[in-house]
Amino acid sequence: MKNLKQTIFYYLKVYEKFVSTSISVGVSFRTSFTLLLLMDLFFYFSTLLSVSFIYDHIQMIGPWDKNHLLFFISFMLGIDHLHMTLVSESFWELSHSIRTGDLDFALIKPANSVFSVFFRYFRPSTVINIFVVWTFIIYYGIQVKLEPLSWILLPFLMFLGFFLFIVVEFNIAASMFWLKEGLGINFLRMQLQQLARWPNFIYASIARKFLTVCLPILLVGSGPIHFLYDYGKWPFIVGMILSSIAFLFILKFVWRSALRHYNSASS
Amino acid sequence: MVHVLKWWQTIKISWSNHTAYRMNFFLQIIGPALVFFFVKYNLWSSIYSDKSVEVIKGYTLSQMIDYHVWAMIVGLLAKGHSAMNLSEDIRLGRISSFLIYPFNFWEFHTASFLSFQILQTFIVSISICLFWSIGILSIPSMSILMTGFLYCLFVSCFWYTLQYLTGLIGFWLEETWILRVILEILTAFLSGAIIPLELYPKWFVSFLEWTPFPYLTYFPIKTFMGQNSELFTSYSVVTIWIIIFCFINHFIWKRGIRLYTGAGM
Repeated sequence: MKNLKQTIFYYLKVYEKFVSTSISVGVSFRTSFTLLLLMDLFFYFSTLLSVSFIYDHIQMIGPWDKNHLLFFISFMLGIDHLHMTLVSESFWELSHSIRTGDLDFALIKPANSVFSVFFRYFRPSTVINIFVVWTFIIYYGIQVKLEPLSWILLPFLMFLGFFLFIVVEFNIAASMFWLKEGLGINFLRMQLQQLARWPNFIYASIARKFLTVCLPILLVGSGPIHFLYDYGKWPFIVGMILSSIAFLFILKFVWRSALRHYNSASS
Repeated sequence: MVHVLKWWQTIKISWSNHTAYRMNFFLQIIGPALVFFFVKYNLWSSIYSDKSVEVIKGYTLSQMIDYHVWAMIVGLLAKGHSAMNLSEDIRLGRISSFLIYPFNFWEFHTASFLSFQILQTFIVSISICLFWSIGILSIPSMSILMTGFLYCLFVSCFWYTLQYLTGLIGFWLEETWILRVILEILTAFLSGAIIPLELYPKWFVSFLEWTPFPYLTYFPIKTFMGQNSELFTSYSVVTIWIIIFCFINHFIWKRGIRLYTGAGM
C-alpha cells in the first residue's frame, strides 16, 4: 500500500513537470495560443449549430429530441476537451518521434513508457475553454431535467468515457511502430472520434454492434448518456468498465510488441 | 520547352511522394471523406426512418444521400492538401534552395498541387463508378458530370490559393496548422458540406451569399446534381476570389521573404 502511494506520488511529480514545461512552451507562442483557443470554439459552435439547424425541420432523431441530442453533443465536447488538453498533442508527436528516433528520449525516462509517451504534452490554451464546454453541458443538462444523482455521476462518467476512448486510441496508435509514416494513423484516430460523436442508435445494426462490442467507441458517449437518461441502462456502464479493462490488457501486449519492433532512427 | 519539362518533372516527383506511402495516403486523404459520408448516411437514414418524415426542405432520403455522396466527391476533388508542408518549408529553411533554383517556390508547389489533382481525379472517377454501380448515386447525364468535374477542378484552384496563404503565414507564425484547421472547420460548416444550405435559417443563407463559402461545396454539389442554374455566376465569383487571393499571396510573399532567416544555413 505504501509502495502504491509512493508510485502515485512519483508519477504526479513527473506529470507536474510535464505540465509546467508544456505551459512554458505554450505561452511562448501567444498567437498560436490564441488561435488554438479559437479553433476549439469554432468547432464547438459549428457542431452544436449544425444539430440545431437539423432540428429546425424535424422533431426527433431516434428516441431523442433536440435538447437530448444537444446534451449528448455537449457531453462529447467535454470528452473532446479533455482529450485535446491532456493527450491529443502527444499522439501527433509520437508519429514524428518514431520517424526521427526522438522517441529514445521518452523511453529512457525512469517511468512507464506509455505514460511518458502519451502524457508528455499538455495543451494549456484549451484549458480556458472548460468554461464554455461546461456552460453547454450545464445548460442542456437543465433542459433535459437531469436528476441530482445524474449531476453527481456526470463528471465520473465523463472521465470513464474519456479513459475508455484513450485506451482504445493507445492500442491503435501503437500500430505506428509498424508503419514508415504514422501520420495516417492519427487521421484514423480522428475518424473514430467522428464516429463516437453521434449516438449509437443512428448506426445500422451491424455497424452498431461492431462499434459497441469489437471496437467500443460508441460506448464512450452513448453509454453514459443512455444511463443518465435511464438508470435501467446500467449494462452500458458495465460494458464500458469491462471494455476499458480488456483494452488495457491488450495494450500491455501490443505496446511491448511495438517497442520490440522499434528501431531507433537516430542511434 | 525547358520550363515545361521542369513542371513535368516536378509533377512526376510529387506523384511519387504522394503514392510512396499508400496506406498513409488512404488514411489521411480518402479515409476521412469515407467516414464522414458513412456518419452522414447513417444519420440521415435514421432521421428518415421516422414515418412522419418524408421530405425535408425538398430533399427525400435518396436526394439527401445523393447530396452527401456528391459532398464527399467535391471534398475529395476540390479540397487540395498540397500546401500542407509549405509552412514547414519556411520554418525549417527549406525554401533557401528555391531562392537560387531556376524554378520558383510557387511553381514547385503549384506543380505538386497539379499532381495531387490528377491523382484525386483518378480516385474520384473510381469512387463515382463504385457508388453509381451499387445504386446510391444518380448521375443526371454525362455532360452534367463533366460540367461538375470542371467546376470542381476550378474550385480546387481557389482552395489552393487559400491554403497557400495559410502556408505563407509561416513567415510570421510558428504553427500554421491551426489556421488550416480553423479554415477547414469554418468551410465545412459554412459551405454546406455538413448539411445542405436549405436547412439553414434564411437570414444566415442571405449572409453566406456574400461570402465565397457556398461556392466551395454547395454550388459544386448542385452542379453535379444538375441543379445549378447560376453556373456563370459561380465561375465569376470563384474567379474574383482567386484573383484577390493571388494578389494577397503575392503581397504576403514579398513581405514575408524579408523576414526569412534561412534556418539551418
